Amino acid sequence: MATSRNKNMNAKLVLLGDVGAGKSSLVLRFVKGQFIEFQESTIGAAFFSQTVALNDATVKFEIWDTAGQERYHSLAPMYYRGAAAAIIVYDITNQESFERAKKWVQELQAQGNSNMVMALTGNKADLLDARKVAAEEAQTYAQENGLFFMETSAKTAANVNDVFSEIAKRLPRLQPAQNPSGMVLMDGPAQTPATASCCS
Amino acid sequence: MYGTHSKRDMDIEYQSQVPILRPSIHARRAKITVKFQDLYGFTVEGNVDDVNVLNEVREKVREKGKVWWALEASKGANWYLQTHVSSTLKTSLKFSALVNAITLKKLIRKGIPPVLRPKIWFSLSGAAKKKSTAPDSYYEDLTKAVQDKVTPATKQIDHDLPRTFPGHPWLDTAEGHAALRRVLVAYSFRDSDVGYCQGLNYVAALLLLVMKTEEEAFWMIAVLLENVLVSDCYNKNLSGCHVEQRVFKDLLTKKCPRIVAHLDALEFDVSLVCTEWFLCLFAKSLPSETTLRVWDVLFNEGANLLFHVAMAIFKMNEEELLTVHHVGDVIHIIQRCTHQLFDPDDLLTVAFDQIGFMTTTTISRQRKKQEPAVMAELDQRLRRLNSIKADDEQ
Ligand SMILES: Nc1nc2c(ncn2[C@@H]2O[C@H](COP(=O)(O)OP(=O)(O)O)[C@@H](O)[C@H]2O)c(=O)[nH]1
Ligand SMILES: [Mg+2]
Repeated sequence: MATSRNKNMNAKLVLLGDVGAGKSSLVLRFVKGQFIEFQESTIGAAFFSQTVALNDATVKFEIWDTAGQERYHSLAPMYYRGAAAAIIVYDITNQESFERAKKWVQELQAQGNSNMVMALTGNKADLLDARKVAAEEAQTYAQENGLFFMETSAKTAANVNDVFSEIAKRLPRLQPAQNPSGMVLMDGPAQTPATASCCS
Repeated sequence: MYGTHSKRDMDIEYQSQVPILRPSIHARRAKITVKFQDLYGFTVEGNVDDVNVLNEVREKVREKGKVWWALEASKGANWYLQTHVSSTLKTSLKFSALVNAITLKKLIRKGIPPVLRPKIWFSLSGAAKKKSTAPDSYYEDLTKAVQDKVTPATKQIDHDLPRTFPGHPWLDTAEGHAALRRVLVAYSFRDSDVGYCQGLNYVAALLLLVMKTEEEAFWMIAVLLENVLVSDCYNKNLSGCHVEQRVFKDLLTKKCPRIVAHLDALEFDVSLVCTEWFLCLFAKSLPSETTLRVWDVLFNEGANLLFHVAMAIFKMNEEELLTVHHVGDVIHIIQRCTHQLFDPDDLLTVAFDQIGFMTTTTISRQRKKQEPAVMAELDQRLRRLNSIKADDEQ
C-alpha cells in the first residue's frame, strides 16, 4: 500500500509479465542504470527499492520483480497483495507475451485493490524490425482497461524512468488533478531518480 | 566419459587457485568491500572481517577433520556408515550402532569434513540405497536415452544454465553447464510430475560441486525430492512449498511472537523472504560452506531442520527487526545477515540451542492441517483464472 508521511511516501510496486519480457532488465535499468545480459535467475521475486523525486515530493518504490516458470505464478498473490502499483510487461516482438500480459491485468482486476495504479509496458522497443504487437493495439487495450501505456527499452533506457515517474504522479496521495486515467504517454519528460538502493 | 569425472580433482584445483587471503592494510583501514573466492570457488563480497572469518572457518574445518580421523582410528573405517539399528542385529551390535548414531548426530551437527561429505551424504540420505535398487547402468542409460529430447523442462533448463551461479570457475563453463544439464534433464524424465522446477538448478549445482560424480549428484536429487523433503515441494503448483510456508509461519508465531506481531503490522509476509530458502535449500542465500553445513544435518536429521535454520535467521535479527518500520529495511537486514553468515556455527548454534524443541509429530500434524487449506486456495485461484477465460470467450 502507498503510505505517506509529509511529502515523502512509500509505495509497493510489483512487476508481472511473461518470462523474458524484460521485467528484471527494466528494474535493473531503473534502479542501477545498467543493462546486463545474463543475470542470476530469481526464485519467486527479487526486491529493490528506488526513490523518485517529483516536483515537491518523493516516492520511494518498494519493488517486487517477480520471476519464474508458470508454477511460480501460484506465489504471485503474495507479491501483489497490498501493492499500490503494478507494471505489467510484455515484449513487443512476442504476441504471446502480450496475451499473457492481458491475463495478468485480469487477475489484478479480479482481486487486486481498485485503487492500484497499473501500467502496461511494451518492452524491447529498440527491436522495431521484429515488432509483432502494434502500439495502437496495446494502447486501445490499455485505455479500455484503465491502464496507462508506454513502450520502453531497458536496453537503450528509453522511457524507463518515465514509467516509474508517471506511476508516482498517479498514486492517490500525489495525483495532480489534470491527469486523466488512461492517458497515453509515449514520451514524457525524464525524471532522474534521486537515490538508489538494492538488496537482492 | 561422463558420470565418472572426479570433482575431487576439481576441488584441489580450486584450492591451488585461491590466493592466500591477506587483505591489504588499506582495505583494513577503509573497511572496503573486497571480492574473494571461498572454499568452493564462489566469489563473495565482504569486508576484511569477513575474509578473516572465512579464514578461521577454513582452520576450524581442518581441526574438525582431526576429530573424525581419530574416531576412524578407534572405531574403524566407515564406522559412520554403521549406525542403522536394525532388528536383525545382535543386541550387542544394536547397542554399538545406537552409540554410533548418537555420536554421529553430534559430530554431524558440528560439521562433516569436506572430503568425507560425498561418502557420508550418499549413505545417510538414503541415496545409496535408492541407487542400489536400480540397475547399475540406470543413470547412464537414462541420460543417453533423453539427451536429444526437447520438452518444456529441457527448454527451461537450457535457459537457466548460464543463470545458475554465473561466474563460478567450474559451474559457469561449458563442462559445468553440460554436467548440470544432464543431471537436471535426467531427473525431469524420472519424475514427470516435477519435470524441472527452478530452484533445483541451484541445489543440483552445489551437489555437483560436493559429490564425487555426476551420477551421485543425480541420486542425491532423487532422494531429496522423493524421501528427504516433504512431497510436492517442486510439483506443478508448488503445493508442498505452500504448505511448508504456512507451517513455518505458525511455528515462527509460536517461537518468535514479537517478530511476527511486528512484521504483521508492517504487512510483511515472511514468505517473501523464506520461499527462496525452502526451494533452494538456502543454496542461493547462505555462503557455500554454511549451506553445506545445513545440508550435513538435513541429510541426517530430515526436512524439519529447514524450519530450525529459517527460524534462527529471524531470531538472530530479532532486536534489529523490531526497530525498523519499512519492508525494505526488513529485507535488507535479513539479506545482509544471510549473505554474511560465513561462520556456520553462528547460525547452527542458534538453530539447535535457541529455538527449542519441535517434535516431528507436531510438525506433521501442522502439515496435515494446512494441506486442505492450501489446496482450497490454489484451487480457488485456478477457478478464478478460468472464469476470467470463460468471460473472454463470451
Ligand atoms: N533488445 C532488448 N533486449 C532486452 C530488453 N529488455 C530485456 N532484454 C533481454 O531480454 C531477455 C529477458 O530479459 P529479463 O529482464 O531477464 O526478462 P524477465 O524474465 O521478464 O525478467 C534478456 O536476454 C535481456 O537481455 C530490451 O529493452 N531490448
Ligand atoms: Mg526476471
